[in-house]
Amino acid sequence: MIELDALAACLTTPACLVNQTTSGLIIGMLLFLVASGVTLIFGVLHVINFAHGSFYMLGAYFAFTVYGLTGNYFLAAGAGAAGAALSGIVFERLIISRVYGQNLLMQLLVCYAFILIVDDLVKIVWGAEYLAMGIPAEFRLPPLRFAGGFVPPFYLFLVAMAVAIGVGSLLIVTKTRFGKIVRAAAHNASMVSALGIRVNIYFALLFGLGCGLAGVAGALAAPVRSLTPGMGLGILVESFIVTVIGGMGSIPGAFLAAIILGLTRSIGSVGFPLFVDGAMFMIMALVLIFRPTGLLGQGTLR
Amino acid sequence: MKNHQSRGPSRRTVLKGAAGAAALGTAIVGFPAYLKAAGKPIKIGMPTIMSGRVAILGESSVAAAQLQIARVNKAGGVGGRPLELVVRDSRGKPDEAARMTRDLVNNEGCDIILDAEASSASFAVNEVVRDIKKYCIHSNSETSSLTAEPKNQVPWVFRSARQGIHDAVGGGLYAAKVAKEKGLKRWATVSPDYAYGRANTEEFMEYVKVFAPEVEIIEQTWPKIFQPDYTENVTALLNAQPQAVYSCLWGGDLVAFTDQASLYGLFNQFEAFAVNLGDYPVITAIKSLPEGVHSGSRYHRDIPDTAENEAWYKEFMANSKVLPTNWSWENATAMDFIIAALTATGGDTDAEKLGKATAGLTIDSPFGAGGKLTMRESDHTLVNYMVGYSKTIAKDPYVVDFKQTDWADIYKHEDEWKKRNGYI
Amino acid sequence: MTLLREFRRDLAIAAAGLVVLLLIGFGVENPWPRDFLTSIFAVGLLAMSLNLLVGYTGLVSFGHAAFFAFGGYVFGLLLQWPAFTDSLGAGSVPVAFAAAVIGTGLYATIIGAICVRLTEIYFAFLTLAFQMFLYSVILSAVSITGGDQGLMGGIPRPVFLGIDLGDPHHRYTVCAVVFVVCVMIMRIVTESPFGYTLRMIRDNTQRAAFLGVNVARVKLICFVTAGSIAGVGGIILALFTSGAYPEWAFWAQSGEAIFMIMLGGLNVFLGPLLGAVALRILNDVVQMYTSHTEIVIGFVILAVVLGLRRGLLDFARDWWIERQQAKLAAASREERQS
Repeated sequence: MIELDALAACLTTPACLVNQTTSGLIIGMLLFLVASGVTLIFGVLHVINFAHGSFYMLGAYFAFTVYGLTGNYFLAAGAGAAGAALSGIVFERLIISRVYGQNLLMQLLVCYAFILIVDDLVKIVWGAEYLAMGIPAEFRLPPLRFAGGFVPPFYLFLVAMAVAIGVGSLLIVTKTRFGKIVRAAAHNASMVSALGIRVNIYFALLFGLGCGLAGVAGALAAPVRSLTPGMGLGILVESFIVTVIGGMGSIPGAFLAAIILGLTRSIGSVGFPLFVDGAMFMIMALVLIFRPTGLLGQGTLR
Repeated sequence: MKNHQSRGPSRRTVLKGAAGAAALGTAIVGFPAYLKAAGKPIKIGMPTIMSGRVAILGESSVAAAQLQIARVNKAGGVGGRPLELVVRDSRGKPDEAARMTRDLVNNEGCDIILDAEASSASFAVNEVVRDIKKYCIHSNSETSSLTAEPKNQVPWVFRSARQGIHDAVGGGLYAAKVAKEKGLKRWATVSPDYAYGRANTEEFMEYVKVFAPEVEIIEQTWPKIFQPDYTENVTALLNAQPQAVYSCLWGGDLVAFTDQASLYGLFNQFEAFAVNLGDYPVITAIKSLPEGVHSGSRYHRDIPDTAENEAWYKEFMANSKVLPTNWSWENATAMDFIIAALTATGGDTDAEKLGKATAGLTIDSPFGAGGKLTMRESDHTLVNYMVGYSKTIAKDPYVVDFKQTDWADIYKHEDEWKKRNGYI
Repeated sequence: MTLLREFRRDLAIAAAGLVVLLLIGFGVENPWPRDFLTSIFAVGLLAMSLNLLVGYTGLVSFGHAAFFAFGGYVFGLLLQWPAFTDSLGAGSVPVAFAAAVIGTGLYATIIGAICVRLTEIYFAFLTLAFQMFLYSVILSAVSITGGDQGLMGGIPRPVFLGIDLGDPHHRYTVCAVVFVVCVMIMRIVTESPFGYTLRMIRDNTQRAAFLGVNVARVKLICFVTAGSIAGVGGIILALFTSGAYPEWAFWAQSGEAIFMIMLGGLNVFLGPLLGAVALRILNDVVQMYTSHTEIVIGFVILAVVLGLRRGLLDFARDWWIERQQAKLAAASREERQS
């Protein structure tokens, strides 16, 4: 089960070390973008968006369509983010806002219903075929070489974008007026609305921001991932593991956990290939047992 | 007191609920549909996968089966009775597939089962049709043991799909030849981590080594099925630096893997063999299709390069929302055998009679080598279909230079394999 | 004896229910009702046992199907093991049944001991993590479990006490009896003082603790009971499908059970069972008319959750109580006027 020789050989070879570490970072950073949306929404609004994977999928599909129309990857990524954010706002207004403060099961069920509906809608609109966007022309470059390892420039760009967007959304929530109002409103909605602020709009916008993060992840990754109805499921499970390990509500926690998970995947595929998934769930269980609030979580963002 | 009160209403509601549920159950799903079946069209039940990530496989299967049915019905059906397909979505879950197969027979009045499920669910369906004795053709499962294993064999169950061992011999012969020509000794594999992926890869590499003993496997990496990201598997291949790579990834997974591997320039570094690359929805989805990849035969309008196949492709495209897949020709073939068997029995749907009519039957088919397909009598599996490899090019028709494996070679090695496994 | 007396009405209803089930099983020639009901027995036990946790104790478990799968796999693996059936002969099936239930109980004890200390969402996620862990173990231990293919080749069922589980009528009868017995056990658990302790923990854990209830222990006992009964559900499904599949341990199976509870009603004892029946019928009926099953079921869920805001039987019960209260109020008004 455990291939210690292979693991040791890899860890002592610079090329292998570079390859596996960078691939861990790449896997981790895209997970981080999706998970940061989950954690942001939970931290402020106290609902768990089980439908988050659907927004990842929508982001990818919107980006696919816009890329097909314009041929511009950056525009496509923006459209993916905006489309997912708008869908998120609609979802929040029509459905999620009705289960605020309700028990966990209500939230779970409406999200489950939403997943089913969106998966089928995507199948109706875009068809059941596997779609692929292809690598944009500006990134069709040979991989860079570091110490014998390979790093594709496109992945460097993805990692940089993920970090920038993650930091940006953290700043929006902690530093801007919008972030302060929305956190205050989540803490005491009636007090904030007494000040003449329409809290509903702020909640919807924050929810949209969270979904936009999933959407932009889907859109950014669209060139290298095949698009199918139901593609949100795998990423959903992993992003929940990241959220729980990092601490529900903590964006830095999600960052740390995403790197841990990415490295578990990349190192694990060399050292314990049959047990990569098991290892991820084991880490999650251990964190929940010994530190239920997660590595960096203090419960919420407040 | 409190105890009594809380139990009072719930007991009554319980009774009401139970009675209501029972009435609802019988009224909606129950006997009416069952009684209606007599004297009506010959119903063929088809459990398959119509939702989720592989919905396209189910859709392309149903489209193909419907195409063959429409042709027969236009000509007046079989013995004056039209055929009707009843499709159920099992979502690929084995226990659902088993339950739906029973429902199709017991409740919908289906006399014939066209099992268009993937591997694990097809074993569950196999269990059911052997139990309730209904004529069945498995149209998609490639797992060799489904028909090769004697304990799975009954007179009324067949397989109209590729069989793993046939592809393995064909692929092994082809790959060994390439390996000898180009001196490819260090091989790696990247295949999905489940029964099909492991069995298929093991059989393929086994035959490569049989025909080219100098080949050694230096790295095997097993991504999970439906994994979104293959970076760690791509880098594992990079680290190993093999001369050739084999993969039985399929569908959307293969599309994603190909794009991600291209980023690392993987296809420039070694010869690649991908048995499932030739499927239309895969090969047309990949935007920067690497050239010169050795691609196994799935379904292609040029393989075989005949007028009949071209005509079938055009007819399929005119009637389907999705592109044809490997599952399409397999289901069209299943339906052809069902129709031929029904014609032979004069519309009698008795399992034994249909089984007798199907065993050893040879039909004309656009998908057969030399225009013929045979349902082999000894183990009830399809033979004489297109087995071989092509090479990819970047644009339509995507694959060229098809090399058909000689069926005589396949039979020879299949017999040895059966003996080794104690099947004969 | 007191148990008999206290629950005589429930026992009578259970016996009547069993008679009805057997009448359906033997009176109808078409096997469809037997198939339908057998699969309901299996998922019904899963949903009802989960409701011991969700509805009665307030413990939202996302990983209950783990025990369902565990029971099915232990049962199937034991019977597929030639040394086991050879040495036990006619006793194989009962012993495998007992071993599967006890084994599931032990497994639930280990998982429960770790999980019950956590509350709400953390409990939910930890149970989910353990379930997914079991799922990945089933998938990777191919040599034992058959991996994604499940337990194939059928489960041998040696005849015992003249009962041949290969025979559809025998199988149905045994499943029906086991099902009714399990439902009765759950009924006794929920209506006993223990059951009221569970409700107290659900409504106010602190108060229960102040009153001297060992909350963790009570929760654990409930968790193990629920897990074992879910295991029985898995055994029934293993008998029915003559196999066991990793999908049973996948999170979607737990999710479906949760939906059955919510659809049928979590505050009425038989609510989850009605939910199981309703979901199955909904699924089958929708399949007859459209291939877009998912979208229809999605909208039905939304309608139930956002429209009724509770399960069908909960809705019926609330409506009934309201009507009774209205009647009482009307009666007392009349009394005052006269």
